[in-house]
Amino acid sequence: MSWGECFFYYNCEVCGKKYKYAADLIPVIGERFGECPVCGCARTPEKDGARTPDDLEYEEIK
Amino acid sequence: MAKKTIITAAVTGAWPKKENNPNVPLTPAEISEDVYKCWQAGAAIAHLHMRDDNGNGTMDKAKFAETVRLLRENHPDCDVILNLTTSGDLFATDETRQIHLKELRPEMASYDCGSMNWMHSGLFINSPAFLEELGKNMQEWGVKPEIEAFDPGMIANAAYYLKKGVLKAPLHFQFCMGCANGIPGSLKNLVFMKETMDALCPGSTWSCFGVGHSAMEILYGAVALGGNIRVGMEDNVMYAKGVLADSNTQFVERAVRVVREFGGEVATSAEAREILGLGK
Repeated sequence: MSWGECFFYYNCEVCGKKYKYAADLIPVIGERFGECPVCGCARTPEKDGARTPDDLEYEEIK
Repeated sequence: MAKKTIITAAVTGAWPKKENNPNVPLTPAEISEDVYKCWQAGAAIAHLHMRDDNGNGTMDKAKFAETVRLLRENHPDCDVILNLTTSGDLFATDETRQIHLKELRPEMASYDCGSMNWMHSGLFINSPAFLEELGKNMQEWGVKPEIEAFDPGMIANAAYYLKKGVLKAPLHFQFCMGCANGIPGSLKNLVFMKETMDALCPGSTWSCFGVGHSAMEILYGAVALGGNIRVGMEDNVMYAKGVLADSNTQFVERAVRVVREFGGEVATSAEAREILGLGK
C-alpha cells in the first residue's frame, strides 16, 4: 500500500499564489524549500499530507 | 537469454481520487477493465486495492470478489496474476485484512513486514501477532506473500519470520521507495535495500517502485540491477512533471519500453509464475 507523495501545501499570504512542495525534495531543494515562486519569501504551510482533493489548484514547485 | 522482467500494475491503491486524476479507476468495473488493459500492455501481475462507494479505501471482501468476477467473466483470455492487498484501509481489522484471501485464494497478496507512522498523520500497524497469523494462513491458503518493505528493517523482520517458519522461501519482496516515513527513493538506497535482502534472505526475488519524483530513478534502477518493477496510479497519478497520467496502461507501456531498450524482455504471466515459483 502506498499513498503516493507527501506534500506541503502553501497559500502565499502576500500574493495569493497556491503552490506545493513534495516532502521528499527537502534534501534536494534545501533552504529554498517552501519559498513562494512569485514572492521568493519563505511561507508557512497551510497543510501537509497525501494529495488533497484540491491538489491540482496548487502548482508543484521543483 | 535475455532477462525477463516482471511488471506489476498497481492501478488504484487506497488514496487518489477522481479529483486528483479523473482516470484513476475506483469501481470494480473500472478496476477490472484497467487490469485487463494493463495485462494486454505487458503487466504480468495486478496489485489490487478496493474503494467503497465514496471512493475511499476499503477491505470489503464483496468488492474484491466483484472485481475478480468481472475480470474473469469478461476477459477469460486474461491469465494475469492477482495480488490482493491486505492493507487497503488503516482502520480495517486483522480479520477483514485477510478474509478475502481465504475466500478468493489469489496467487499472491501483500505482506507489510512491519509497522510505521503513515504520512505523518496515522499509524500503519502490522503487529507481530497479525504478521504471524497472516503468514501461516497464506501458507495454508496457497497465497504467496509479496513482502512490502518500506525500509531495511522490514527486510530483517522478514528474515526473522523466515527462520520462524511463518514465511517460506523463496521470498519475494516489493521495495516501497520514497513513501513518507519510509526509505527515500534513490538509486543509492535501492542498492542498499537489495544488498540487505541478499545478505539476510539470499535467493529471494524482488521488485520495487518509487512514488513521485523517484519513480523514474527507481524504474531505471530496477531494470539495471536485475529486479522487477511496479507501476501505476497507486503510486503516481502524474506521468511527468505537470502531466496527469492518461491511464495506468501508459505507465505499463513506458516500463515495457525501458525494459526492451535495456535489452531485456518483459515476462508474461506464465513466465512470472515460473520466476516466482507460484503454485509450487
